[in-house]
Amino acid sequence: MIGLLCPDDGPPIVPTRGWSAWITITTAAAMGFLAIICLAAGLAAGRLAATWEADFEGLATVSVQAEVGEIESRIARAVEILETTPGIGRVRVLTDAEHAELMAPWLGESLPMDVLPMPRLIEVERRGDGPDVPRLQARLDQTAPGALYDDHQVWRAPLIDAAQGLSLLAWAATTLVILTAAGMLALAAQASLAGNRDVVRVVRLIGATDAYIAQAFIARIAMRGFAGGLAGAALGVLALGALPAPGPGAELGLTLTPGTLTSLLLLIFVPLGTTAIALGAAWVAVRAALSRIV
Amino acid sequence: MISLSGVTFGYDGRETLSEISAEIPQGTFAFLTGPSGTGKTTLMKMLYLEHFPWSGQLEILGFKPNTLYEDEIVDLRRRIGIVFQDFALLEHITVMENIALPLRIAGKRSEDYREDMEQLVKWVGLGQRMHALPPQISAGEKQRAAIARAVVNSPDVILADEPTGNVDPEMGTRILRLLIELNRLGKTVLIATHDLHLIRSSKGQVSARIYRLADGKLTQSGSEL
Repeated sequence: MIGLLCPDDGPPIVPTRGWSAWITITTAAAMGFLAIICLAAGLAAGRLAATWEADFEGLATVSVQAEVGEIESRIARAVEILETTPGIGRVRVLTDAEHAELMAPWLGESLPMDVLPMPRLIEVERRGDGPDVPRLQARLDQTAPGALYDDHQVWRAPLIDAAQGLSLLAWAATTLVILTAAGMLALAAQASLAGNRDVVRVVRLIGATDAYIAQAFIARIAMRGFAGGLAGAALGVLALGALPAPGPGAELGLTLTPGTLTSLLLLIFVPLGTTAIALGAAWVAVRAALSRIV
Repeated sequence: MISLSGVTFGYDGRETLSEISAEIPQGTFAFLTGPSGTGKTTLMKMLYLEHFPWSGQLEILGFKPNTLYEDEIVDLRRRIGIVFQDFALLEHITVMENIALPLRIAGKRSEDYREDMEQLVKWVGLGQRMHALPPQISAGEKQRAAIARAVVNSPDVILADEPTGNVDPEMGTRILRLLIELNRLGKTVLIATHDLHLIRSSKGQVSARIYRLADGKLTQSGSEL
């Protein structure tokens, strides 16, 4: 790598300053920053989808609706059926306090659960592929009318799809950032070469091979790509670290704490990525430009 | 030996050099003269392999540039020292680093040529300016640095395009003297110039051939103006 970046032991033949140098550094920094934001968004969306999937994957509920005087016997019959149904593990009736907590956002605190004809919930843990739902529902209808089995498929699947879609979008945005970075850095490489056309001409006429010239330019552009990428990534990590903590449900947040393994990995890989992109883009641009000069 | 036989070249389809023929034996000191715009620089560019003939035969040091591969052209360029009209020094590196550039490019290590370099820098009178950047030195110093860079590789041929064009007469005489010294070491020296005073001042110091370009044709050659 060092040999690739240093064509010889002398001073650089490519000027170290000038507007083209700043274009490359600024472009790499902007791309590094955007890459961090997109990657953080991708990671957050992936985390969200995984959490939802894990939270609801093994759980289902049975809601039991009946007159106040009959509700306890209906619940008991439903529990009995559930406990003898293949594909169902633990069965637990939610307490009055848990029901009250669930209803509180809509009906307020201190709800008189014992007098209101409220549906009651039974939490069911699914095992393996879960129960044969139509057969289970038929048994519930027969023995505990008003009991309704719900494995949350209807609303869970679109939510997980949405989270996964969001994750895909974030990765697509990251890919676009990478492609844009490649394009911008290729243009910066061309600008660098155009800005140093006289240098290229002279160096070539005094005996430099195209490979030597290309290596000198590519090394310089790659180093600028690395420096810019590192600065942009560091700014991105700091910006995400400065966002307010999301609190409960932290998987929804974009926060990235500086110093954590993820942030360190991003700080290593994003600059390496911008360097690799700068190397590739510069190689293509410089070889093409050299074939046009002289 | 440089040999041109019926060489034609131009830009954008228009001929600048037409049916040029000449023989410049190894060790010759020669001037290429003629009014401005007659193609002197174009011919020099062809001799230092920036341009290639449209037609005719060009031969430099036994090689026909039109038939060479890229790496062979690079090897041939390393046997030709060029003093550019505008000095063409890299402005972001020092005088010393500019002079050493052909050696670096040829893959030589700085510790192997440092002493020779210092002698060369002193020979061209830039001992005190070797660590200066080109924008910090005068035109005469730039030209001497350009001459040192042209000879650092010990080339067989030295091509100087208007080497005194941007310096005062006294400095011009000094630069001419340097080029004559190089010729005495066996180098072929070809100087493109429209400065007849420079050609006259070489009389008595060196036996110079004079090639005259007019309207894209080499119309006169010999040892007198």
